[in-house]
Amino acid sequence: MVSQEHRKNVIAIKLEDARKSYYLSNDEEIPVLNGVDLSIRSGEFVAIMGESGGGKTTLLNIIGCLHPLTAGQYFLDGEDIGAVQDDFTLAFIRNKKMGFVFQQFNLFMRFSALKNVALPALYAGVPTTVREEKAKALLESVGLGDRLLHRPTELSGGQQQRVAICRALINDPEIILADEPTGALDSKSGLEVMEIFTKFKQQGRTVVMVTHTAEVAKYADRIIYLRDGRVLDHDYKLHSHY
Amino acid sequence: MTWEIIKMAFESLMAKKTRTFLSMLGVIIGVATVIAVFAVGQGAQNSVNAQFQNLSVNSIIIMPNRGRGFTSSSRLATADAQVILNKSENIVSATGAIQGQASVSYGSVDKNYSVVGVDQNYFMISNLRLASGRAITEADIKDKAMVAVIGSTAVSDLYESGSDPLNTMITVAGKKLAVIGVLQPVGSRIGPLSIDSAVIVPSTTAEKSLLGTRGEVMITAQVDDVANTSAATTSITSALRTEHKLSLSQADDFRILDAGSMVAAAQESANTLTALLTAIAAITLLVSGIGIMNVMFVIVSERTKEIGIAKAIGGKQADILSQFLLESIILSVIGGLVGMLIGQVAIPVISYFNWIAVGSSATGPILGFSFSVLVGVFFGFYPAYKASRLDPVDALRSE
Repeated sequence: MVSQEHRKNVIAIKLEDARKSYYLSNDEEIPVLNGVDLSIRSGEFVAIMGESGGGKTTLLNIIGCLHPLTAGQYFLDGEDIGAVQDDFTLAFIRNKKMGFVFQQFNLFMRFSALKNVALPALYAGVPTTVREEKAKALLESVGLGDRLLHRPTELSGGQQQRVAICRALINDPEIILADEPTGALDSKSGLEVMEIFTKFKQQGRTVVMVTHTAEVAKYADRIIYLRDGRVLDHDYKLHSHY
Repeated sequence: MTWEIIKMAFESLMAKKTRTFLSMLGVIIGVATVIAVFAVGQGAQNSVNAQFQNLSVNSIIIMPNRGRGFTSSSRLATADAQVILNKSENIVSATGAIQGQASVSYGSVDKNYSVVGVDQNYFMISNLRLASGRAITEADIKDKAMVAVIGSTAVSDLYESGSDPLNTMITVAGKKLAVIGVLQPVGSRIGPLSIDSAVIVPSTTAEKSLLGTRGEVMITAQVDDVANTSAATTSITSALRTEHKLSLSQADDFRILDAGSMVAAAQESANTLTALLTAIAAITLLVSGIGIMNVMFVIVSERTKEIGIAKAIGGKQADILSQFLLESIILSVIGGLVGMLIGQVAIPVISYFNWIAVGSSATGPILGFSFSVLVGVFFGFYPAYKASRLDPVDALRSE
């Protein structure tokens, strides 16, 4: 578990003039991020809002090391990793430092809940018994202790998302990245998921969550508002109108 | 960790049993073919060896020539063996034999056999081994002794099993001969002659009392070195032409076969057979490999999203590569094992029904199995590599 006191006010994530473009097959450039500057402190719960097509998911994917930057700098714990291409390093960061939660859960349909949760620990080289113990404990902590061997198809959406959250937590990451985590859930399940997210803050984890729902965004300490690939507001208030 | 990945690979293969089986089928057939091919190749090799086991490569066989338009009979005689030994180069020994068919009887049994009149060198040069008794000696030849050594098939034809042919009297072409020796089975032919069903007598006895002019002469000579075979052949030709007083316009009244080139030719045809069959097996394995590659591409494209998820949660390229590579290796290894099993079962069946000569060969199973593993690695690598290099975001977006 990350010690909150120790890391308070440390900048966990910092982007400087971050740019990302996609290229079509005819070399036409589609800019998505046009120079994003932002910094997120360790232990902060940040929501990223903005219109669709504004670059929210791309930004999250960049923070999650799934995308390289086209230009600009990305500091993770003070280290510039924007230019890192090495698969081993990037996989290590995704594996150990971050946990991803997706809108569509993205579980392995072939695997049981337990196996799904344990998979990142398998990639980390944790021995089978250790990681399955840990996965079991995590699933029990979110009320799925009786669903360990169920496959995703045998679980409700809310249960699947809780499995996915446990998977994000198995390697005890400092940062949780969530892309519309309640987007595919009914309001009750969404509420349960957000309650788990508030616990992350108590545990000292940094949370970056993309959402377009004010209801969900209000759980965050701070809302970063994106428009046209730039940060429009670093501390957007839900009653503001642009 | 490794075990877990193997288990995962098994589970994903088991999830699509029919497809897994069909893609294995190519490997199964390929490996079974390789094994069958090597068994057949070994069989061909064995029959070549059996055919020539009594003929050292140094042997040269001289037989009378009764070619087209050749009316006068050949003057080749067993005595020419001595001429060859004395006047030809590179010849270390020579033995003459005269051969013909004659009725042979013992008790109530009466059969037609090859009767071979030989000199004392024949047994050694032809590599004949006695099961019991003694061979024809120089004294037998000098005395025109009425004695015979008989081949193993002739023994089992003429005598009841268990009875000892030694010192019994057989009747050959109306003359009584004492059996002085029995040969071990040879199983093969020496030139045109099957020794197993032959009666061997002193050459003088054969010429005088048994065959007379009906006999056909065959001389077996040994070259000092296989490399000199061609020189020896030339030298024998000129020695015999002189001896037979042939004019320049007359063709040879004998022909010369050298064992070296006979063995080499048979060997080569056996090798050609093996090479041909190996090529077929290699093509089968290649096709099975392409089949595996095809299936692996399908598997990769089906699981694109999973690859994206795996990368997002920290799977390394190496993890994904090994996952898919392992699946193709499992496919081909299991296919290889089943193919080996089928091949091993097929060989006794083929040999039982006598369809084609087969021999046991360790090369077949070893080669077949290692090739199947190689096929899995080689043809599985590219799809697995492509999978490991997928862009995680693109992969996540796919459905």
